[in-house]
Amino acid sequence: MKKSNGKTFKERSFGWIDERYDVTGLIEFAKKKSVPKFRETIWYYFGGIALLLFVIQVLSGILLLMYYQGTEDAAYESVKFISTKVSFGWLIRSVHSWSANLMVLAIFIHMFSVYFLKSFRKPRELTWYTGFILLALAMGFGFSGYLLPWNELAFFATKVGTDITRQIPVIGDSLLILLRGGEDVTGATLSRFFGFHVAVLPGLFTVFLVLHLMFIQRQGMAEPEDWRKLPESEKKQIPFFPNFTLRELLIWLIVINILAILAVFFPWELGNKADPFAPAPVGIRPEWYFMFMFQVLKLLPANILFLSGEFVGIAAFGIGIFLWFIVPFWDKRTPESRRNKAITYVGIFVVMFIIIFTILGFILD
Amino acid sequence: MLKILNKIVLLFLSAAFSLVVFAQSSADECLNCHQELDDELLMPAKNYVNDIHYKKNITCAGCHGGDATTDDDEISMSKEKGFIGVPDKTIRYEVCINCHSDEQTMKRYGSNLQVDQYKKLKNSVHFQPSYNNQGPIADCITCHSVHNIKSVNDPLSRVYPTKVVELCGSCHSSAKFMKNYTSSLPVDQVIKYKTSKHGMLNSKGDPNVAECASCHGNHDIYSINDTRSNVYATNIPKVCAKCHSDSKLMSKYGLPTDQYESWVSSVHGVALLEKDDISAPSCNDCHGNHGAVPPGVESISKVCGSCHVLNMELFEKSPHKKAFDENDFPECETCHNNHKIRYVTDDMVGTQESAVCMDCHSNEKDDKGYFVAGRMKLLIDSLKYEDKETKEILKDATQKGMDVSDAEFLLKDVRQVLIQSRTTIHTFNLDIFKESINPGFETISKVKEEGIAAVDDYYFRRLGLGISTIIVTFLVIGLYFKIRKLEKKS
Amino acid sequence: MTEDPKNSNINNNRRDFLGMLLGGGFFAWIISLFYPVFKFLDPPKIEEVKVSSVKIGAVEDMAKDSGKIIKFGNKPVIVIRKLDGEYAAFSGVCTHLDCIVQFRQDYGQIYCACHNGKYDLNGRNVSGPPPAPLKKFGVTIKKDEVIVYEEEA
Repeated sequence: MKKSNGKTFKERSFGWIDERYDVTGLIEFAKKKSVPKFRETIWYYFGGIALLLFVIQVLSGILLLMYYQGTEDAAYESVKFISTKVSFGWLIRSVHSWSANLMVLAIFIHMFSVYFLKSFRKPRELTWYTGFILLALAMGFGFSGYLLPWNELAFFATKVGTDITRQIPVIGDSLLILLRGGEDVTGATLSRFFGFHVAVLPGLFTVFLVLHLMFIQRQGMAEPEDWRKLPESEKKQIPFFPNFTLRELLIWLIVINILAILAVFFPWELGNKADPFAPAPVGIRPEWYFMFMFQVLKLLPANILFLSGEFVGIAAFGIGIFLWFIVPFWDKRTPESRRNKAITYVGIFVVMFIIIFTILGFILD
Repeated sequence: MLKILNKIVLLFLSAAFSLVVFAQSSADECLNCHQELDDELLMPAKNYVNDIHYKKNITCAGCHGGDATTDDDEISMSKEKGFIGVPDKTIRYEVCINCHSDEQTMKRYGSNLQVDQYKKLKNSVHFQPSYNNQGPIADCITCHSVHNIKSVNDPLSRVYPTKVVELCGSCHSSAKFMKNYTSSLPVDQVIKYKTSKHGMLNSKGDPNVAECASCHGNHDIYSINDTRSNVYATNIPKVCAKCHSDSKLMSKYGLPTDQYESWVSSVHGVALLEKDDISAPSCNDCHGNHGAVPPGVESISKVCGSCHVLNMELFEKSPHKKAFDENDFPECETCHNNHKIRYVTDDMVGTQESAVCMDCHSNEKDDKGYFVAGRMKLLIDSLKYEDKETKEILKDATQKGMDVSDAEFLLKDVRQVLIQSRTTIHTFNLDIFKESINPGFETISKVKEEGIAAVDDYYFRRLGLGISTIIVTFLVIGLYFKIRKLEKKS
Repeated sequence: MTEDPKNSNINNNRRDFLGMLLGGGFFAWIISLFYPVFKFLDPPKIEEVKVSSVKIGAVEDMAKDSGKIIKFGNKPVIVIRKLDGEYAAFSGVCTHLDCIVQFRQDYGQIYCACHNGKYDLNGRNVSGPPPAPLKKFGVTIKKDEVIVYEEEA
């Protein structure tokens, strides 16, 4: 070990930074960070998995940007070019598509685990709100990104998806034109969606992600009631650094490898180029994370009382989603002292609802 | 006594004479009267005694109406008696069809003539209004004339086979006249016809050879592009075959009768009759319409070459042209037949038994042709085989999920090369042939490369995945132990 | 805490081995990650369409004492028609720093605007920085059409 001034290289470099940015305090704080160790600890990994997948999306997305061309004439061809001619293009593209889906899934799992463990309660309300916004943004990523290859399925899925905005009263039609860049889905829509996907949404996502992570770091890991109620001797913790981190790393390695396996054995398809004048192909459907809403809307009758069926459906979803969003608010009303089953029942209902209708969406054609 | 006998004989004789005279003068008063008149009133009467209707005892009133029994022209030509005078050109045909379209009437006169002439004529091209709107272009009288109509079997009839050509030509050979209708119809049919075998025999008085009506029909003449026409593309073969497949008729001229049968089964016959391709040649396309002659030995390639241009050009520059002409071999026909042209297959070239090359060439020491034929076949077979092999590789790649659409597109070129090479065979020159077929091999090797690369990539992906999975497995195990160690320590 | 020296040695060895395994493993993993990324960034070669000859028009389409740049496959080629009506063709890429040359009627020469390089009408570099002549292309006239082709080396 080379020493100069009696300090090692590692010690000297650390000192250089510490002098300027006073990181010792931060490190002390970080050392204290721990994760409750109990049966539900496994759910604590999903936030990190979602984060990992987001980073993978950003990196693979940047790589795709090197070759993707976002115009009506060239979008499909450029994606085909990437998938067939560029070295490892097939890998980057399939990873990007699979990771997108896995990210949304991870966020859903993360959200439901937080919900059932009731970690959204005081003082973590803002963490819940920013998290929910992140979910919405992620689904926006999915919706906008789906169109970018400009293939048949994407074109029609976008058409159907954006049509729904018509049902929103007052602002519906203007919102439709804003989304589509016109009355119909055209090259203008593609340009807009491309802009949303690579500029607007990443910017917004980053802002809320930073807030979300900052809140978590400041407040530490949530300790659910069940764990807090344990006697002191049985309360076990895992120090965040390095134990939990190493565990996370292990899981992340596995997740990355799973992505590679999916890319090789289940490559993402491209299909045919979008043709606005061709009839809608058989089997168009939205991505799975929109499927349950889509299926419910399909099953609603054309008219309910004096309102259109679609409007009732969308209004119901809107209200439901809003209520879910503000759960920290109405959970406050329920007494904490008693075990609050209401939240749990609502949660179970929502999960089952989503699962059942998603499955129905796929098997009923 | 003798004086009284003389008087009785004289009386008897004069009575008999009057009777005879009376008998000589017709029961047709119209005729009798008109025979005394001049110029245009005389002509019909003068001609009518030669008319077949006169011989059937039909009076002038039979067509013109009126009363033929009286010479009082107040009665005989009165409207009350149905006299119509000279009928207007636009409707004069109605006079003819009054009898000729009525089976009962025809039977009454002891005729077994058909009664469908008008039915056939009225939809035909000749029955359309003439350019000066004076009735149809041609009606009964236009061709059969009037007042001196002869039976169609009478050599003096205007429509007798040896005279009908002149009749049709009287309009159809006049450019000035035809211009009133269409400048696009030719006016050289008669001239050409006279050069043909049909025309030459017809001029010599043979009523059995084909003339205008034999092919075009007599009453039911349609435009040649009308599918109802007897000489529409798909109808012509049967028209020619009507005579040319009749062995009894053809034996008089020493002609074969297998042409139609051979042609029907040929590529051209199938194309025209079964696939409705009216650009496919039948009898008239190779032999000519009006100037029909079988093409001579040196001109056969020009006949075939009128469609198969490239083959003709290549053949004429090839060594076979001189060789064939010197030996009186009929160019294209030698290998391809004239009527029974079958679908060409690659088996026709080469040194195997089925090859036409072997009809002349053989495995002799200085027979260069034998060598060239063999080589050509070898190259074609080789290209086809490689094409098939390459298609298999691409199929394999596609089934493995790799995209080879660009390569598949390139491969289509090979089909084009094969088509071109088969044409180049007609140069009978190995160097030129090699030049045309080599691009095919180049394309194949490029496509094969791409196909194999695609399949290799499929395996490479799995290999890469395997390697990275192994690395990750090691890492995961290592991390697991590190974590365990860490936890044990604390 | 006294440690059994033998145990600690074994533990140390195990620790080293584990450390090596992890370190080496991570290194390998990073490579397996970066290799595809770098290959991805390397653009694929676009197939060069093998062009052997290009028809550029009728003989009288080009005025005498003029020149123009044509596309020969994916290469620029300069075609000139001299005062006497003869055609000539050369590579249109300057041998100095790859700018595209042009015909200058006022010089009666082929000129490169980037650094004032000049070539005569036989493609020889006569003035300025170009170190080598322009590659000659063949020109032939077939049935009143001017055809430029690449001469075999």
